[in-house]
Amino acid sequence: MMSLVSYLIISLILFIVGLVVMIARKNIIAILLGIELILNAAALNFVAYSRYVTNNLDGHVFSLFIIVIAAAESAIGLAIVIRFFQIKETIHVDEATQLRN
Amino acid sequence: MNQTLVSYLSQYEFYDVLLAVFGKNEGLLAFTIYLLAALAIVGLCATIGGLGTYAERKISADLQQRMGPNRVGPYGLLQFLADGVKMMTKEDIMPFTADKFLFYLAPMLALIGVFATLAVLPWSSGFMMADLNVGVFYLIAISSLVGVSVFLGGYASNSKWSMLGGMRGASQIISYEIPVTISILAITLLSGGMSFGTILSHQQGTPVNWFIFHNPFAFVAFFVYAIGALAETNRAPFDLPEAESELVSGYHTEYTGMRFGFFALAEYIEVFVVCGVGAALFLGGGNLPFNLDIDIIPLQFAQVVIFMTKALLLYYVVIWVRWTLPRLRVDQLMSICWKYLTPIAIVNLMGCAIWLVVFNGKSMADLIFGSH
Amino acid sequence: MFVQLLFALSALLTVGCAIAVAVTKNIMHSCIFLLGSLLGIAGLYATLGADFVAVTQIMVYVGGVVILMLFAVMLTGGKDFVSRAQNLLGLAPAMGNKWTYAIGLLVGLVVLLTNVKLIMNISKAYPAKVFGNDFPSTVNQIGHLLIKEHVLAFELSSVLLLGALVGAAIIARPRKQG
Repeated sequence: MMSLVSYLIISLILFIVGLVVMIARKNIIAILLGIELILNAAALNFVAYSRYVTNNLDGHVFSLFIIVIAAAESAIGLAIVIRFFQIKETIHVDEATQLRN
Repeated sequence: MNQTLVSYLSQYEFYDVLLAVFGKNEGLLAFTIYLLAALAIVGLCATIGGLGTYAERKISADLQQRMGPNRVGPYGLLQFLADGVKMMTKEDIMPFTADKFLFYLAPMLALIGVFATLAVLPWSSGFMMADLNVGVFYLIAISSLVGVSVFLGGYASNSKWSMLGGMRGASQIISYEIPVTISILAITLLSGGMSFGTILSHQQGTPVNWFIFHNPFAFVAFFVYAIGALAETNRAPFDLPEAESELVSGYHTEYTGMRFGFFALAEYIEVFVVCGVGAALFLGGGNLPFNLDIDIIPLQFAQVVIFMTKALLLYYVVIWVRWTLPRLRVDQLMSICWKYLTPIAIVNLMGCAIWLVVFNGKSMADLIFGSH
Repeated sequence: MFVQLLFALSALLTVGCAIAVAVTKNIMHSCIFLLGSLLGIAGLYATLGADFVAVTQIMVYVGGVVILMLFAVMLTGGKDFVSRAQNLLGLAPAMGNKWTYAIGLLVGLVVLLTNVKLIMNISKAYPAKVFGNDFPSTVNQIGHLLIKEHVLAFELSSVLLLGALVGAAIIARPRKQG
């Protein structure tokens, strides 16, 4: 049951679900949730490959960097969402049509 | 390599006997041992949590020159059982506009977050459920589930008081996590490992070998940890999330019966866990004050007693502080964390690192009494 | 045995909660399901012997990102957000009409077939390996890797985090209009 393929399938499902969330939902925060899922799918792949294929820990280090980047990205993203809400009073992604006021 | 309770017990002869009883099925035996140990620890901690409420009332009564609970059982000792029965038989009320799913989930998350930390709590050098090599890190990480539960409890109740309490609680917990984590990082630096086994093995012997006396920075780090831990467990003087005078009772205003009981139990057990971690990291944990080269089961129980004594003494201090100091304001709370504790913790971390380099890893005691 | 059990539970948690993120209409519930999914991924890391990554995952996501998202949901009106798009059979809040879905289905089919082909190859190349129940500590090696081979990325990530910290504080700061 526990083989490289099973991890890859889980990661594939995560990626697809993340993509669906990003495309289908109109709430900016929901889109950020989708991005988190996609990043996690990638990180899971790295660790799985490092266990089953390369037998060193570079994959672990890479997923640590992915986690760091995901944290930074969500902090910035949510700051933008809050600022956007202060201006537009909505977080519907279709309202984001102006580059400057 | 992770040491666990099972791998510790397997060095004794009775393990082989047990293995024979279980028909050479190691998995089943390990499962049974873990199950029994988990039941024992959860039972013990639930009792400590329950007695914590009693101790809290009794000590506060002492400080305010009252009698405290004295009706149920000798000296009112069974008061917590009476409270428990009262809570279980109370009507379970849910606000009409509450978010049902989250309302159910929040107390569970609090309990999960607290009970999961018990897996790595070092009762003695052998009696640990699992001596993970990322032990301390795991403990900090999993206990942040409590922050989520506080926030959710506040949000799901759909009441202004709960909402404010929940937001305050979550922001307070994630803010104070930073100085606490950095203080613990200083200890990780001194011991050279994140597992509780490594940390305890560096503090063997007399109290001068404790990490709190290792160097001046570690001494300060203990107090940073203590203040931060008080705030993280929402205890007075940092109990802003449940400040009675302004927020009724904060994030659990709308909770009744056993759900409220879950929150209360989680809080008291978390205080105990935090005290235990402080005792293990800074005060030598369950180490005996003398070095014996033999390792027998009764000595392990002696270690458990020493560990419990240290942890419960810290517990007493926590209650003492609660009934002595007035509550802070929100802005004071945040400025203490970000303007004082965090910079002090960072300076401590750097100081510990510099100390290790300059004095070649020797502690103050080594420098004064000579290294042995 | 324990590892297989952990794997099964974690995989179930991960996939189930991820799908729940997609189909739940209430954004607050979505955040909580995301939390479950991330915890499941931490469990999967544990089955892979990546203890440090697993705990970092819990630390960063549970203690940081999810709480941040819950805060953001609350500060931007919570679950009162009303989706104005069409729904697909009332299942998921979605957008587009039947043509969008048809094209999406086609693309999905192509991607699925490609992936099945890839996975077949991988499963031939790397058959199921059985690892013992002993997981060596990865903390030491990761520490060495971080300050030797990957030191540039490590330092850059610290700059990135500082930039994100300052940037987030500046962006979210309330300003006077006009």
